[in-house]
Amino acid sequence: MDKLNVLVCDDDKAIADALEIYLKYENYGVIKATNGIQALKALAEQEIHLILMDIMMPEMDGLSATIKIREEKNIPIIMLSAKSEDTDKITGLNFGADDYVTKPFNPLELMARVKSQMRRYTSLGSIAVKNNILKTGGLELDTEAKELRVDGEIVKLTATEYGIILFLMKNIGHVFSIAQIYEHVWDEPSYSVENTVSVHIRRIREKIEINPKDPKYLKVVWGIGYKIEKY
Amino acid sequence: MDIKLKNIKYLTGTKVIAVILAWLCFMSAAASGIFLIYNQDVMHNSSYYTTNSFNSEYSRLVHNAIELQIKLRNEPGIIVSSASQSTVSDNAERYQVIKNRLEGTVNFSYYIKNTATGEVISNVNAADRVALLKKQPSYLYLKQGVSGNNNLWYQDDIAKMLSGTNYEVHTAVVEPLKPGDALYEEFTNFSRVKAGIPYMIPALIASIILGLASFAYLVWAAGRREQSGEVNLLSVDRIYTDVHTLLVFLAAVLSIAIVTEVSNGGTIIMFVGAAIIFGIDLVIGLTYILSMVRQFKKKQLLRNSLTYKLYSAAKEYVVLAFRGKLFKAWTLLVLLGYGAINGVLFAIFLSTWRYNGAFEFLFSGLLLLGFNIAAVYFAAKSLRSLAQIMEAAKELSSGNLDYNLDTKEMSAAFAGFAEDLQGMQSGLRKAVAEAVKGERMKTELITNVSHDLKTPLTSIINYVDLLKKEELKNENAKEYVMVLEEKSARLKQLIEDLIEASKASSGNLSVTAEKVDMHQLVMQAYGEYEEKIEKAGLDIRTNTVEKDVFVLADGKYLWRIIENLLSNALKYSMPNSRVYISVEKNEKYGVLTIKNISAFPLEISPEQLTERFVRGDASRTAEGSGLGLSIAQGLTNLQGGRFKIDIDGDLFKATVEIPLWVEI
Repeated sequence: MDKLNVLVCDDDKAIADALEIYLKYENYGVIKATNGIQALKALAEQEIHLILMDIMMPEMDGLSATIKIREEKNIPIIMLSAKSEDTDKITGLNFGADDYVTKPFNPLELMARVKSQMRRYTSLGSIAVKNNILKTGGLELDTEAKELRVDGEIVKLTATEYGIILFLMKNIGHVFSIAQIYEHVWDEPSYSVENTVSVHIRRIREKIEINPKDPKYLKVVWGIGYKIEKY
Repeated sequence: MDIKLKNIKYLTGTKVIAVILAWLCFMSAAASGIFLIYNQDVMHNSSYYTTNSFNSEYSRLVHNAIELQIKLRNEPGIIVSSASQSTVSDNAERYQVIKNRLEGTVNFSYYIKNTATGEVISNVNAADRVALLKKQPSYLYLKQGVSGNNNLWYQDDIAKMLSGTNYEVHTAVVEPLKPGDALYEEFTNFSRVKAGIPYMIPALIASIILGLASFAYLVWAAGRREQSGEVNLLSVDRIYTDVHTLLVFLAAVLSIAIVTEVSNGGTIIMFVGAAIIFGIDLVIGLTYILSMVRQFKKKQLLRNSLTYKLYSAAKEYVVLAFRGKLFKAWTLLVLLGYGAINGVLFAIFLSTWRYNGAFEFLFSGLLLLGFNIAAVYFAAKSLRSLAQIMEAAKELSSGNLDYNLDTKEMSAAFAGFAEDLQGMQSGLRKAVAEAVKGERMKTELITNVSHDLKTPLTSIINYVDLLKKEELKNENAKEYVMVLEEKSARLKQLIEDLIEASKASSGNLSVTAEKVDMHQLVMQAYGEYEEKIEKAGLDIRTNTVEKDVFVLADGKYLWRIIENLLSNALKYSMPNSRVYISVEKNEKYGVLTIKNISAFPLEISPEQLTERFVRGDASRTAEGSGLGLSIAQGLTNLQGGRFKIDIDGDLFKATVEIPLWVEI
């Protein structure tokens, strides 16, 4: 397979250069643009597999560019911005971005997100859905093989962790309280042992999430319970 | 010496002595003056025989002798009368009285001779009686046409009695005078007084001069303690000047009345009484004058009068009533008018009852009733307006700035007041809006600055990371990169906390409140922090007696609060100590408390701890931004809760109260 190309679109040269270095470590081809117009131009001229898009740029900003790109292409777009408000993130995602990373970011986390998006775009999209597989986003649970894959990679789980994931994956999008989870997974009434559930959940998150503090799949609904997000 | 002398002038003792001296002098002046006035007769005459008292007594005796011996004795039919019975008895009685009086005088001598008959009537027993009488200084010779000297009283009467007679009369007081009659008593009195007068006059003059001098000194020294000092007042000066004047005047009138009443008697006790009264009056008068002098010096003679006080008080009330905003002038006029009209109506009502028919009586009664009902109606309306204003003021003070005070139905008496209140309300609203706007702008500024800080920070973090990946030969360089990495991460945390803190404290965050199980939240928090807790070697004890503590909160923010408090406990707790977390509820709030033992002495107030960038450790070497508690407080307030920190020695206790979820 040819080299996968990433378009880095940022008006800050230092950031773009740094990203280039990181992406080249990961064996990606890098094309750089300093604003939205350049990005569209590069997109028309070359084959691009993923875009890292800054929002605040001169001439054409990242949001406008994303809208334009989405008119014809469905390549993954990860937004990079110093704007960290919830509303900024929601706007970015609604305008067609696949992920939103706030500056200053952890470069390793960003690379993980890039790889995740790239896998989904290049290889996972065509896999046929089997009956024994529970799936949401890049998260797949094979109930026969008792295997959990995140973006195609197998994650090792303990029996209890598997039990929790199974229970939640069977009810994707549904929020369960600690007591409910305990009763279903341990199969006995909960009796002030709920601390163990929250500890297990955190450990699962650390295994499956790119950034456990900002989970994508296994979400904490504070004061209510936990759920697996539906994608 | 000089100073001592000067001081003596103002000493209280000196003044007291001066007062006593003045009093004594005025008393003695009065006494000697009265004595001299009383004895004017004696003073003006060098000889006893020219005094008025002698003349009056002597003339009476001369008249008596002539009346007795010439008129009455020769009255025809004094025994066998021709005239009316009463005249006869009158004359007889008169005859006896005069005869007795003449016989009672030892020193009066007369020699009466009828030149026609040669008859002689005399009370003198001596050889040459006429020659003896002629030697005396009081000798008088009278006959028809000769009227003695000018000092003789009753001359007309005596001349009438002598006219048409042949009598010649020789009278005199024969010296030396013998004791036994009024003449002798008056003579001895004259001699005594005459001897005293030479002492009395100088005494009078001396008393007056000394008294006036003392008085002048007192006037000069009144109110002074030191030469250039302030005017000092005595307690007597507190009496209003006009009241004082009136009292003194009353005392004077009373004294005069008493003295007048008393002097009619003329006994020695009465005289002493008058003297006592005069002495007291003198004290009163002296006190009064000196008091006036002191107040004059202090320039408060007018100000310290009851009249002035009443005047200024009245003026104040009038100004308050007519110029003040509280009550307009016409409000008072209306009140007066109401009273007047009511009085007139009541008078009419009473008079119709007495003099008129039933119809008039009924009509005037209805008029009175109607008028008062109208008055009560308007008063009630005013009171309702006042109640509305009070209600509005209460709402305002409790923070409801949008309270609408309806001024349409407002009584005219309070309309101005209500408008003032509305003005105050709009002013307050404006101020609050400005404050909110200012806080919002501050938050925006912080957010924008933070965004600008983030872009260069991204590069710093990225390149530090890249540098770390380079093969660095130098050990120091590796260490430096580690420091850079650590500090840039810290900077990132600081910026994020700063944004959050400013938003939380300004309330510039949208809250999605829902039913949140606090107990569940604590469990989740424990799960998240389990690893760090174990690493820190802390023993977390969760006390959740009440399991069903549901609050109305935004779980995300509540988590941030607990997260901040927990990480605070982890950062600052003494190693191997216990951290207590409890969830309870009271009437209105779900209460979360976290208690831990601080590793550092907490020499700081709880209030300061929740301020931004304040940390328990003054050195700021420990990790953390110093914003954690500030954020926790801001987020608690944002959710309608209460945040409290208690410090008891090394015990640190944070209490978060969040409103309970209420089933609707």
